[in-house]
Amino acid sequence: MDLTLLLQGIVSGILASGLYALVSVGLALAIGVIGIVNFAHGEFFMVGAFITYQLFISFGFDPVISLFFVAPTLFLLGGAIYQSSIRYVLKAPELNQMLLTFGISIILQNLALLIWGGDPRTISSVAYRSIGYQLGGVSIGLVPLASFLISLVIVGSLYYALLKTPAGRAMRAVAQNRMGASLIGLEVNRVYLVTFALSALLAGLGGVMIAVIQSPTPIVGFAFTLKAFAIVVLAGLGNIRGILWASLVVALSESLVATLVPNGDALRNAVFFAIIFVVLIARSRRLA
Amino acid sequence: MKKLLTLTAALLLALAYAQPVKIGILSPLTGGAAGTGQAQKAGFELALEEINAAGGVLGEPLEIIIEDTQATPAVALAAFEKLMTEDEVEFIGGGFSSGVTLALVESFRTFQPLVTWIGGAVSGVGIDGFDGIEELLGNEPWFFHIHPWDYQNTAAANAFIASTGVETVGLLHEDSAFGGPGAATSEAVIESQGIDVTLREAFKSTLFGGAGDFRATISKAAATNPDMLYWIGYDSDVLPMTSQVRELNFTPQYIFGTPPGWPTDFAAAPEAECVAGLIGFLPNLPTAEAQAFTEAYTAMHGSEPDNYMAALAYAQLWAYADAINTAGTTEQDAVIAALENGSFRSPMGEWSFGSSEITSRQGFDESMWLVFQYQDGKREIVYPPEKATAPLRSCR
Repeated sequence: MDLTLLLQGIVSGILASGLYALVSVGLALAIGVIGIVNFAHGEFFMVGAFITYQLFISFGFDPVISLFFVAPTLFLLGGAIYQSSIRYVLKAPELNQMLLTFGISIILQNLALLIWGGDPRTISSVAYRSIGYQLGGVSIGLVPLASFLISLVIVGSLYYALLKTPAGRAMRAVAQNRMGASLIGLEVNRVYLVTFALSALLAGLGGVMIAVIQSPTPIVGFAFTLKAFAIVVLAGLGNIRGILWASLVVALSESLVATLVPNGDALRNAVFFAIIFVVLIARSRRLA
Repeated sequence: MKKLLTLTAALLLALAYAQPVKIGILSPLTGGAAGTGQAQKAGFELALEEINAAGGVLGEPLEIIIEDTQATPAVALAAFEKLMTEDEVEFIGGGFSSGVTLALVESFRTFQPLVTWIGGAVSGVGIDGFDGIEELLGNEPWFFHIHPWDYQNTAAANAFIASTGVETVGLLHEDSAFGGPGAATSEAVIESQGIDVTLREAFKSTLFGGAGDFRATISKAAATNPDMLYWIGYDSDVLPMTSQVRELNFTPQYIFGTPPGWPTDFAAAPEAECVAGLIGFLPNLPTAEAQAFTEAYTAMHGSEPDNYMAALAYAQLWAYADAINTAGTTEQDAVIAALENGSFRSPMGEWSFGSSEITSRQGFDESMWLVFQYQDGKREIVYPPEKATAPLRSCR
């Protein structure tokens, strides 16, 4: 095995973990605080990607500028979806909640299909998309690097907010004990609303990044939803702090399998399914 | 009373005969292959408008019922059975995805409607231990295939590759029923021309749950330093594949891809420059049929046809209309004979069903394919030479 190839695999894996963390932390918030498994999470990601594309087509906005438009839009969209549907099933059986979010996912996908069609779209004039810095034969892509750093800043800010701000403390309190939080005067429903909206916002920001490096399609969120579930399971359902290292493990494992195993890229999905499998078995055995 | 009954029976019979001919279409209108399905739908709509403006089929307006397969076998099976049992169609059209087609084989055999089928290129010919579509359906008298088979695609791609004079090729392919067998056949054919395939490596397409990070796969190809990077994947893989090739500073002489379609607006992206691809139809094909189709399509849909599936769908519906009108009936044997013996219009020029490795009901072969290259924001036809609008450029 060529050492340069191995180093390239490690670098690519580390850089990919930032985006994985950004997408997963929103899902972890929804699960950890509200207790809802949101199958439409990837569709918020997709909507973020398409809004970025539309802002580029209509106004020529660079995706970096789009971050500032996508964030409030997705926050409002997430809030609207929570108010119009999610809040009504919070006490319903989990299966009903999953069916509802699955339905929302189908609606959002088909709305995107109606508006933007099924053809992959391209944000064409992004001069920096293909820039790579060569260090000893290893290439560090500008976009993966920037996406990694931006994701780290966003996830770091979220951690800080959860630990140090009243809103963050409220979220943590509700996550730990809904009844207790309610008894000390916290408006639980408002916390849920903000959490769900924030979860959509984080996925949408991931969508902005993917709009640069991929062609948005109505199903672009699917792959990242799967990865986000694997990461959330690995971190522990609802464990927001564990998301960073879990993202690193999943992204690095995928990249190393793709690099070291013949035809390994085709096994990427098998990697995170294997992670889910092993983690769930291991945790069940520990509980038993 | 007897007269009244006779009159009523005659009226009912006349009404029965006046029923419009219905063609059931299976197409991936949503899901990952929606771009292809929507292109097919646009081609069908144009053909339908023209057919009905020209008098319809058997004196009645032609009807099409389009069912969404989502390019998913289970959904396609349900859609096909709905067309056969609920809509009671006698003719099936549309078609895309080898995986979907393979899943439909047994249901086709059960109902045995007249099927003309676009896509589903995996023939199975030359692949041991795998039964492909041509092997399974090629001898069925009611099955007509309207798309080159994989070995014909490979022949077209290989003819282009050989024409470039390259000595080494790195071959990357997505891992489904489309890319896997296609790459195996391609490797054998390319090497039979004395060109060395330095690497054949599979990747997970973004169409099937891949996240579009092809860096590991591209790095492996770059390490073998081939003259040409040849990749087989889907439309949504185009941008990550071409941008990551450049990000990784991999500079083969030629970058050649064979996805079924290319992303909208990709021509304007800097990564597009010098990327070459195989396509069944281009609006700038310098023929009268191509220009007429492009003008009518643009007038109806507001943009030029940028996916060749629109042209094939158009050709398929016109073939049905012409064959049924020639037969003068919807009776299956008569329409089969009309399809076998007829010659039909298409944006690619006049065509008819002929023979391939197994079937004698094969529409279009390797001669349908054009190789284009993105040059200065435009798709120029660079191969075959007689249809070329510009010479091939090197990426180095």
